[in-house]
Amino acid sequence: MATKRPSKTKVRRFLLWVGLAAVVLLAVLSVYGAFVGAERAEGIFNSLPLAVYWVGFSVLLGVSFWVFPRFTDRPGAASIHLGCVFVLLGGMVGSQWGHDLQRVVLGTEKIRRGRMVIYEGASENRVYPASGEAKELGFSLRLKDFRMEHYEPGVLQIESRDGAGWRVAAEAGTEYELGGEYGKVRVLRKFENFKLVLEGDERVAVDAPGPDSNPAVEVELIGPDGSSSVKYVFERFRGHAGAGERFALSYFRMVRDYVSEIEVVADPCLQHAGAGGEVVASKDIEVNHPLHWGGYRFYQSSYDDKEGKFTVLQVVSDTGLAVVWFGYALLCLGVFVQMWGKLAKPQKTNFTVTEAKWRLSGQSRDC
Amino acid sequence: MAIKWTIQGLLIYTALAMYVLAFVARLFRVRRAGQALYFLGFAVAGVAVVYRWWHVWHVPMQNLFEVFLCLGVLIWPISLLCRRRLGVGGVAGDMVIAAIVLFPAGLIFSAEPQQLPPALQSGLFGPHVFVYMLAYIFMAKASVQAAAQLAGKEFGEGFAETEEGTYRMVCAGFPLLTLGLVLGSVWGQQAWGDWWGWDPKELWSLASWLVYVGYLHWRYMQGRRYPRVNSVWVVVGMAVILVTLLWVNLSRLFEGLHSYAR
Ligand code: HEM
Repeated sequence: MATKRPSKTKVRRFLLWVGLAAVVLLAVLSVYGAFVGAERAEGIFNSLPLAVYWVGFSVLLGVSFWVFPRFTDRPGAASIHLGCVFVLLGGMVGSQWGHDLQRVVLGTEKIRRGRMVIYEGASENRVYPASGEAKELGFSLRLKDFRMEHYEPGVLQIESRDGAGWRVAAEAGTEYELGGEYGKVRVLRKFENFKLVLEGDERVAVDAPGPDSNPAVEVELIGPDGSSSVKYVFERFRGHAGAGERFALSYFRMVRDYVSEIEVVADPCLQHAGAGGEVVASKDIEVNHPLHWGGYRFYQSSYDDKEGKFTVLQVVSDTGLAVVWFGYALLCLGVFVQMWGKLAKPQKTNFTVTEAKWRLSGQSRDC
Repeated sequence: MAIKWTIQGLLIYTALAMYVLAFVARLFRVRRAGQALYFLGFAVAGVAVVYRWWHVWHVPMQNLFEVFLCLGVLIWPISLLCRRRLGVGGVAGDMVIAAIVLFPAGLIFSAEPQQLPPALQSGLFGPHVFVYMLAYIFMAKASVQAAAQLAGKEFGEGFAETEEGTYRMVCAGFPLLTLGLVLGSVWGQQAWGDWWGWDPKELWSLASWLVYVGYLHWRYMQGRRYPRVNSVWVVVGMAVILVTLLWVNLSRLFEGLHSYAR
């Protein structure tokens, strides 16, 4: 007995409903993910059920090209959906699952994500993933210098015991009236590297520029009665009012940039600090300016906050990235062509139920 | 409440008053005066943005105060574009939107100038936020039309009738919303190494984008068979946008990479 095949219209209608449900489900999951925080959300969206969802969604998008011939005369819509397929593919290829699969199938040994700690003047080629053993890259990175740049001038924050507060530019020569019973404050000197040295019997504050850094300001507090006291305020130590002191003073400088001056050394045998090798590239890695080399991207991630002697780079595999970028380009191009193209056409106000039926039947009556 | 007794504050309050007066004039059908006040409000808000720019010395889109200030300027040119080119009216609604966005800039958010942290020093910062602001205005206009339709009001005025107007606004805003999302993703990749980081702000913006994807498919499938349902989609989309824009920044619920934007 011959079974009746569902009509094309029914298949299309069904697929559209499935597509809509998939979109709504993803929206709901996104909201849920926003509540649980980035780390758990990442776990959820990379879990097995979601992996099935991503594959299913990509297949659905792919199948829609075949089931809806209308896409052929709607380049905008086609580009949108194709773009989504590429973004999803790129995401899957670049995921941990994708990396694991490529290891098994293609034998590639790439870490998806890890960290590198490099000391000033030393070379390093070991990348530490979040779990598992360190992996050695086929080249090394040498840290010529790490530095932090600050916005100048910094800020001197003054808090009185009764809760009043002021923020003053920490620039030598600044004088600021705190008003009435509080008196005034004067910034006398700024130090990049504050040090106390003995001059005869006396201990004297000096600025000793060099690799070390201990930023500070010298401040004079002048009471309403003209009495004066001098204080040193250090960036590294948050201020608090000691016994008998009227104010808690703090000194801040906002960080403008973190810079790791890096050289790429092409010597796979090179393993540890200090060794030579041919320098094949160099770059100042900054926030927003990663280094792209050898299938990885290297990002400024952290640093030695005590002495500034080492930098920490985040190392991310670039597998799948170009596919995502291509997908984005298609998606963006498609939405503008499809949606703005529609707006450029003369206005149409008689879109009716009949029109909806035409669309579902897949016939190409323009809308 | 943070009343600003500064030149910046004065400019904002003047623009806000103009927008409110423009709406009142419109209510009393004094159209020309309404248009003139609307334009004046735009001009003063424009001066407020330029003043802020000069004051902080970077694109003024860093925090909610600056974003809402800019939104208060962008609404007038978009209103004009919609009437002249896209056949969509609703100017009275636009005046209300303009006043609503300037209100928190003037009275709620702190205008304390801030220096740009390293992550925001990117060529993508300005375009990403700017494109999103444009998209949000189109979507706000769409949701005003949708809400009017749900309330049984017609926005005809010789322009597209309300449901169609809503759809056209979404068609105008959706590509910008998409571009904003994509630019944000590319920027995230440059700054943090992830083109998608599952951060709450990213997930909310994905959710708002998906609501409009859902709306476009729904309307594609159903046409105007259920006009009220069409409108509900759009209003929900705007609600999710508002959460994306405000809640994530204001609440401590969603600590994440974007928290600096408070
Ligand atoms: C995240 C994924 C998706 C996005 C971003 C997306 C986006 C869009 C957009 C913007 C339109 C244009 C609507 C209009 O012009 O009014 C559209 C139309 C359409 N979509 Fe999707 N869509 C997605 C998933 C899907 C899926 C899974 C299917 C398969 C069932 C599908 C099938 C269609 C069809 C058949 C059209 C009509 C095209 C035309 O002839 O104009 N979409 N989509």
